[in-house]
Amino acid sequence: MKKNLIWIALAALIIPPLARGLWFYRGIPTQREIATPDYPSFAISQPPLTTPEANEKIKITGGTVLFDAGHANLYQTSEVQALQEEISKRGGRVETVADPALLEFKLKYASAYVVVSPSMPFTDAELRIVQDFVKRGGRLLVFTDATRGVLYYDWFTGMETNYADSVIANSLLSPFGITVNNDYLYNVEEHEGNYRNVYFDDFGKSELTFGIKRVALYGAHSIKSASGLTLLRGAESTLSSVDDAHDPAEGGAAISEDGNVLAFGDFTFLTSPYQNVADNATLISNIADFTLGGKQTVTLANFPYLFAQSMVQVYPTSEIKLSAETVAAISGIQQALRTVNIDVEVVSKAPRGGDALVLGTFAPSDDLAEFTDPFNIALGENEETLIIKNFGEIGRAGNGLLLFEQSKNGNTLTLLADTQEDLLSLIATVGSGSLSGCVLQDNLAVCGVGYGGDYSSTEATATEEPTSDGTTPEAEATPEPAATPAG
Amino acid sequence: MSNIQHFIFKNNRIDKLHHLVYPEIVVKLNKGVTMNQNDTKWKSVRMWLLWLALPLVVGILAAALVPQPVIGIIRLEDAIYSYSAQDMITQIKYASEHPEVRAVVLALDSPGGTVVDTESVYMELAKLRTKKPVVTAINGMSASGAYYLSVGTDYVYTKPTSMVGNIGVISYLPPVPFIYEEIISTGPYKLWGSTRDSDMRQADMIKEAFLSAVQLGRGERLKAPTEVVISGKIWLGNEAVSLGFADEIGTESDALDKAAELAGVANYEAADLRDLAGIVDYYYSFFIKSPQGVVMPYPVEPGMYMLFIPQLPVEK
Repeated sequence: MKKNLIWIALAALIIPPLARGLWFYRGIPTQREIATPDYPSFAISQPPLTTPEANEKIKITGGTVLFDAGHANLYQTSEVQALQEEISKRGGRVETVADPALLEFKLKYASAYVVVSPSMPFTDAELRIVQDFVKRGGRLLVFTDATRGVLYYDWFTGMETNYADSVIANSLLSPFGITVNNDYLYNVEEHEGNYRNVYFDDFGKSELTFGIKRVALYGAHSIKSASGLTLLRGAESTLSSVDDAHDPAEGGAAISEDGNVLAFGDFTFLTSPYQNVADNATLISNIADFTLGGKQTVTLANFPYLFAQSMVQVYPTSEIKLSAETVAAISGIQQALRTVNIDVEVVSKAPRGGDALVLGTFAPSDDLAEFTDPFNIALGENEETLIIKNFGEIGRAGNGLLLFEQSKNGNTLTLLADTQEDLLSLIATVGSGSLSGCVLQDNLAVCGVGYGGDYSSTEATATEEPTSDGTTPEAEATPEPAATPAG
Repeated sequence: MSNIQHFIFKNNRIDKLHHLVYPEIVVKLNKGVTMNQNDTKWKSVRMWLLWLALPLVVGILAAALVPQPVIGIIRLEDAIYSYSAQDMITQIKYASEHPEVRAVVLALDSPGGTVVDTESVYMELAKLRTKKPVVTAINGMSASGAYYLSVGTDYVYTKPTSMVGNIGVISYLPPVPFIYEEIISTGPYKLWGSTRDSDMRQADMIKEAFLSAVQLGRGERLKAPTEVVISGKIWLGNEAVSLGFADEIGTESDALDKAAELAGVANYEAADLRDLAGIVDYYYSFFIKSPQGVVMPYPVEPGMYMLFIPQLPVEK
């Protein structure tokens, strides 16, 4: 009996809390292990640095590399310092051009024109000047960068628009079959510290990629060339931000078909510390070689940069008397050439080598023949004109001739006029540093140098000059005054 | 004589109630039993009272001590930064220390925030989960650092068009080191903290840890390949479920039910842990605010963030 009561009591005691417990709780919580990242195991990735070889053979080539600074370029000089140092090691000289008016002038002697991340457009005239420069054999390098651009904020709509440098770069590059895409390359699988820092292991065969196994670019536009060569090609996991796809025809750099135009989608690889990552230093050296490897075909269009050596021999032929006026004129040439670091030496014999400046008249002479023969110049029937092959017939009086010949031995500029007085006038034109008053045709220029001979007699002759059919021309009628149109 | 006995003998009658409650006594009384006989019988009544009623009362009282289970709700409707993270940690600790809180629902509408504050909350959540399940209910957005917290929970619900993902790190690079005339520092990076290059690499290292957290948290449920996970994309809830970034389309109440299920409780009470933990409101602007009151989506201070920054300014 008592035992039953105990059970009843226990049941009465337990059932209410048990019922409530079961009402609320259907299981027993268990202790669990929760896996979290093993934080100490994560480490900062280190770039594969390379040390440039101390005994690297550098070929001293000289030359001038012109950096553009006239198109609101989005870079600082320090960012291209590594490239400029490599150019200097090769005896090259680095100049900048900020004034568009000087572009044509400076490109006459530059071996390469380097444009980095431009944000202001090139004018049509500038584009023509650059294209002519490349046609002459000069080299054009265009560096763009996906991290550079002009951010435009529209305060009315709140829209932000990024105008990339690729648009302006393409105006320079498209005539040469190269296109910079307005994108960036990335690789989330294998990269140099960040997905936008892309390795390139596959290279187009070129002097620029010689000795390179791997390079890294840092935020690069993709570049393609339909006619040229893609130099740096990424892995299949290297994608373009435009379509998140890989295009084997696109890469980080490309060179034009003629090998004179080079475009990079990045220039951060030129900066410290990235210049020493992988084979970037070798690539920079190769680029320096490329900039100085441009050899322009020198024509009279390059005037006054016609001479390649530091000394020019001035040779007055036998018809030229070294009068005070002549010496003064030659000194003018000397001054002009000194501005481009060229000295002048007057010689009495025809130079057999080196750069030369020959002074003579149209009168046939033996010591002049070797300089004029290549140009097929002959006297007209009445000996008052000159017949120049592929140019035509010109009057001797009042005209001067510039003949330019480029050879392995040196460059020769020959100045010819009808008289010594005309020649002095021609020398003065040359000394001014501009051929703006001359008609240029390849390596020949015809310059007006005055009226020739005695000024008064020439003037008189000019008014009485017969026409080609032998008749005397009538005086030009003075136009009758006319009423100003109303309205 | 007890009150009951006195009542019976005084009135000499047994009413219906007494008959029902004390049938044995009533029957015997009706047969003309004496008071002495009744004493013996009354002992048995008292015995029943002692052994049944009293334990029952005690049992009922004891049952009242069994608490109704609570599913705590931690709401994050802000960026993750020092203040908001501290609030969350306080709530997590409350849930951990109070046994009636059997599970927690993390209700998220956040673009993420600072790296270190996100990690702080994530690690506290991991501790809590060793004892109690945590379920995420993504409301408007669980981006970047907020998604870091999501993968640190047992189950993730999302709305069909919630914004989910944006896995990765954003870092404001320090300037190229320079020195001031008027400020003296004792090392080249005393003013700047680190080089630009190392900052970039640190960000990538943190991304790797983030990726690890996602892979550990989602486990085999994660269907997206690694390159998709770390692409930094934001997916709509529907996509997030199909890619395995979330488990199911559902609401906050679904998350409460799931949390209850995982905790093995029913008939629970849902309670905002912010109220239970007695957290006081604070005022702090994590984002840049213009004088006109326009809140920009950019943090006030430069640094390293697990944060989604939308393209257009956010107006409030």
